[in-house]
Amino acid sequence: MSRNTSKNLRILAIETSCDETAVSLVDFTKVRNFAKIRNHTIRVIKNLVSSQIPIHQKYGGVVPEVAARSHVPEIVSLLSRVVKTPLRPPYQGGQKLPPDKGEFERASAARTGFGFDAIAVTRGPGLATALRVGIEASRVLAFLSKKPIVGVNHLEGHLASAWLNATNRKHWKFPLLALIVSGGHTELVLMKNFCDYKIVGQTRDDAAGEAFDKSAKLMGLPYPGGPQIAKLAKDGDRNAFDLPRPMLKDPSLDFSFSGLKTAVRNEWLKLFPSVIPAEAGIHPMDPRVSVRLRPRMTINDFAASIQQAIIDVLIEKTMRAAKQFTVNGILLVGGVSANEELRRQMAERIKKELTDVAFLPSDKKYVTDNAAMIAAAGYWRLMKGERHDWKKMDVDPEWNV
Amino acid sequence: MITEKNKKTFILKKLEDWNQVIKFMIPKLKPGMIIALSGPLGAGKTTFVQHLAKALGVKSTPRSPTFSLLRTYKVRAIHELPLRRLLHVDAYRIEHDHDLMPLNLEEELAEPGTIMALEWPENVKKWLTRQPNKKIFLKISIDKKGNRFISYSVIPAKAGI
Repeated sequence: MSRNTSKNLRILAIETSCDETAVSLVDFTKVRNFAKIRNHTIRVIKNLVSSQIPIHQKYGGVVPEVAARSHVPEIVSLLSRVVKTPLRPPYQGGQKLPPDKGEFERASAARTGFGFDAIAVTRGPGLATALRVGIEASRVLAFLSKKPIVGVNHLEGHLASAWLNATNRKHWKFPLLALIVSGGHTELVLMKNFCDYKIVGQTRDDAAGEAFDKSAKLMGLPYPGGPQIAKLAKDGDRNAFDLPRPMLKDPSLDFSFSGLKTAVRNEWLKLFPSVIPAEAGIHPMDPRVSVRLRPRMTINDFAASIQQAIIDVLIEKTMRAAKQFTVNGILLVGGVSANEELRRQMAERIKKELTDVAFLPSDKKYVTDNAAMIAAAGYWRLMKGERHDWKKMDVDPEWNV
Repeated sequence: MITEKNKKTFILKKLEDWNQVIKFMIPKLKPGMIIALSGPLGAGKTTFVQHLAKALGVKSTPRSPTFSLLRTYKVRAIHELPLRRLLHVDAYRIEHDHDLMPLNLEEELAEPGTIMALEWPENVKKWLTRQPNKKIFLKISIDKKGNRFISYSVIPAKAGI
């Protein structure tokens, strides 16, 4: 095709590890020296996430959030927007391809057929039934297109989400430390090199995002609670309530948030002795709750205090790990990293205490589960020479990085 | 049918007291059994599962399954019990019983030596009633001083199991 074809490697990525079904097409420039990170350019062509697109309507009404994990109709719909269906198979008898060229060149030549050069798919960790949908779809595509396929770890995908940002790539110098914070994960990962990681700290019970959501639920706020708390916290005093900072004094780099949940519950009962709004099914701002019981500032202060308790623990442990392993940069990735206060305060602390350390948060559009990040992690793996045999590929629900 | 023999109440003043509940329950555990854990947010349902897992010889510490819905743990044979797997299920985010379908819980539970700890059973009441398996219900409540009250009751397996 065009000159562009041979310069780029176009990866089709599929992610179905939990609630989201996501498909993406990303172009990576082929570089001679992979370690020369400045030379890399990345262009995200398509980045589709099912929850952001009203696919459900096609299938008769809105599917409840969790039922949506029957990812099958969604993946078909998303893939049909991204993958070109060739009129004839790309490899037919008469087609001539120079045998000395590598598989990517051959793949590029056949792009007219499918619109991608390689496949990256999430193999785990996650829910087996959900993961399997993505795996099966990718196996079929690998078989039909004869393109190389590689299985990717979902957490490595989150790490790679920071690499999608060009400024971050400029400051990308190993070793790096990553804080992955989302509804299902809270992990500190030491990155010694591409594809060489170690989990140095993680939550022992609830994830940070879960602490946000469940605290919000106790306050009677609608789902998802994280953004709601962040919104209320803007006008609140973060020192108004004395909430615990679990495990802060503990020498390990692990986190724990379930004790905070219990403390939030107890403090709330002191504020509103008669009612836990979540259990009564009413919001504290509901007119049925007497005015005396709902001073707005109290709610804002309470939200700000909860947010600060979570942020304090996350930042403290991250700083401790960064010093312990003398890293060159700190990645902040995952859904909770969308929290402005967390970003601001972490940037501040790093600037103050670790002057030579770069702060590398991923772009907000890539913080929640998406497939562009899976493409980036898949690119690392493919460049390292990793391939999977589509015939033998399977899910790995309990996979660690 | 619940007889008096199948009921008991515990009062826990601190988290370590969970061990008395575990000690009482362990000899009663059998493959295929469902332990239904109810109680408000922050009551200690996941904490109970952590203690149970430790007593069963699970190597890792169970973390909250709210996001992932289902986590599976290998039970090591450090005891006399014929148990091999512990399923930790969380119905917190489940709104309808049919949302459980993709998890294949019946099949998972039918695997040899499997027991299930289920959080927020009230969200999947219909599903739970349909299961013929023996069930243990643990209802946790907390008072203002932070004391926990655990009511334990057993519903025997339906005929044929």
